[in-house]
Amino acid sequence: MSGSKVIELRNVGVCYTRKSGMLRSSKFWALHDVSFDLYHGETLGVIGRNGAGKSTLLRLLAGIIAPDTGEVIHRVERVSLLALQAGFIQHLTGRQNAILSGILLGLTRRQVEERMDAMIRFAELEDFIDEPLRTYSSGMRARLGFTVAFQADPDVLLVDEVLGTGDASFKEKSAAAMREKIASDKTVVIVTHQPETVLDLCHRMAWVHQGVTVEVGEPKTVLAHYSESLRQARRA
Amino acid sequence: MRLPGYLGLILYKGLADLNTEASRAYIGFVWWVLEPLLYMGAFYVAFGLGLRGGGPGMLFFLLCGLVPWKWFQSAVSNGSHTIQSNIGLIQQIYLPKYILPGIVLVTTGIKFLIILALLLVLAIGVGHEPALPWLALPVLILAELAFALAAASLAGAVVPLIPDLGLIIDNGLIVMMFLSGIFFSVKKMPHTAQVLIEINPMVAIINGYRDILIDHQWPDWGNMGYVFAVSTVIYAVGYGIMRHFDRVYPKVMIG
Repeated sequence: MSGSKVIELRNVGVCYTRKSGMLRSSKFWALHDVSFDLYHGETLGVIGRNGAGKSTLLRLLAGIIAPDTGEVIHRVERVSLLALQAGFIQHLTGRQNAILSGILLGLTRRQVEERMDAMIRFAELEDFIDEPLRTYSSGMRARLGFTVAFQADPDVLLVDEVLGTGDASFKEKSAAAMREKIASDKTVVIVTHQPETVLDLCHRMAWVHQGVTVEVGEPKTVLAHYSESLRQARRA
Repeated sequence: MRLPGYLGLILYKGLADLNTEASRAYIGFVWWVLEPLLYMGAFYVAFGLGLRGGGPGMLFFLLCGLVPWKWFQSAVSNGSHTIQSNIGLIQQIYLPKYILPGIVLVTTGIKFLIILALLLVLAIGVGHEPALPWLALPVLILAELAFALAAASLAGAVVPLIPDLGLIIDNGLIVMMFLSGIFFSVKKMPHTAQVLIEINPMVAIINGYRDILIDHQWPDWGNMGYVFAVSTVIYAVGYGIMRHFDRVYPKVMIG
């Protein structure tokens, strides 16, 4: 951990609005009270059960949504999700989708084109890159999606659930690439409900339950308390 | 990403959306020509033949109004739903929402240019040879681009916040169509009515096409200035709302 804070969350709450019919709307609070700091160069694991508000938390960190209560302070500019298959369009070819998705992720068209050959090789799509995406298998699509998303190089990388995607061999390869990136000086937040898989990567862990931070601290300690609560929940 | 990056994105995404639209139907982009032709044909039957007795002069007069109107209408109509149609994307990555109406203007604008080319061919066909004032066509196109972008941005900014406005906008567009001088010549109306109806910038744009293509005259530059001025004001409001609610839109679900 190098010390300086890159993002601070102070008692953050997020509320979604569902609008239906004539001026009718309903509200749903996904986060109530979440607080933690993210430090430069660290890897923070965020754990919690399904529905704990993990995806909302990532959107908040990425600056996609604003909090409704509390405060989020960004001290770096580029914070983004590992956005798999962002903006993919079925009718475009793999190459066109790579360019579109790359531009959406903040790369220039030239940058995407310069990396195209390497990306095609990594995604193992040499024979299919100029075919429309709708002809791809889900494994092929996942390979392209990961490879393009992996090109984005934000100051803070946010990862949702899984490190690797695609079929078995690509899953291994993509997870290895992710581990390498995480192990570097990069600031990373990994959100997961399977904390065991990322335990070795995390410097700290934050446990979120029903939109509230329960504990932030040393990974093994937080994980032990989390597992204990799961056992209790199962018994109850 | 800075502005040049966003312009590149607007163009690339606009073309990609166009491509998607084309591949949805078997006949693809033929449909872009066929659909407005059918639309214009229906209006011609209803108004050109039915009310006014028809004639080739009447048909061309109508088309000079319908072709630019169709662009404005589809831009505003699609623009009002643009945040909703891109909700998956804007929940996955941060994009300034004000670029979304720009994408709509690219897709609808390219379709418009194809139809406009057909209109120009038709103009020659019915005896309106290209004359010097044709050089002013790019100004008219830019004026409509400005006005349609402004209106689409404002509509796109407010509809996600108050979905019921979507219905009002759709109906408002129908009313506005009848008040844009597509089916009658505004210039033949009494002065007071003319002044009132000319508040609508589409009247100036449609008159501009008729000045150039039918009367072989330069468009009224004062009116063009008016279109750009109104567009700037409307755009500023729409842009302001979009900036203000930039990080609120992804939290709004409609339905």
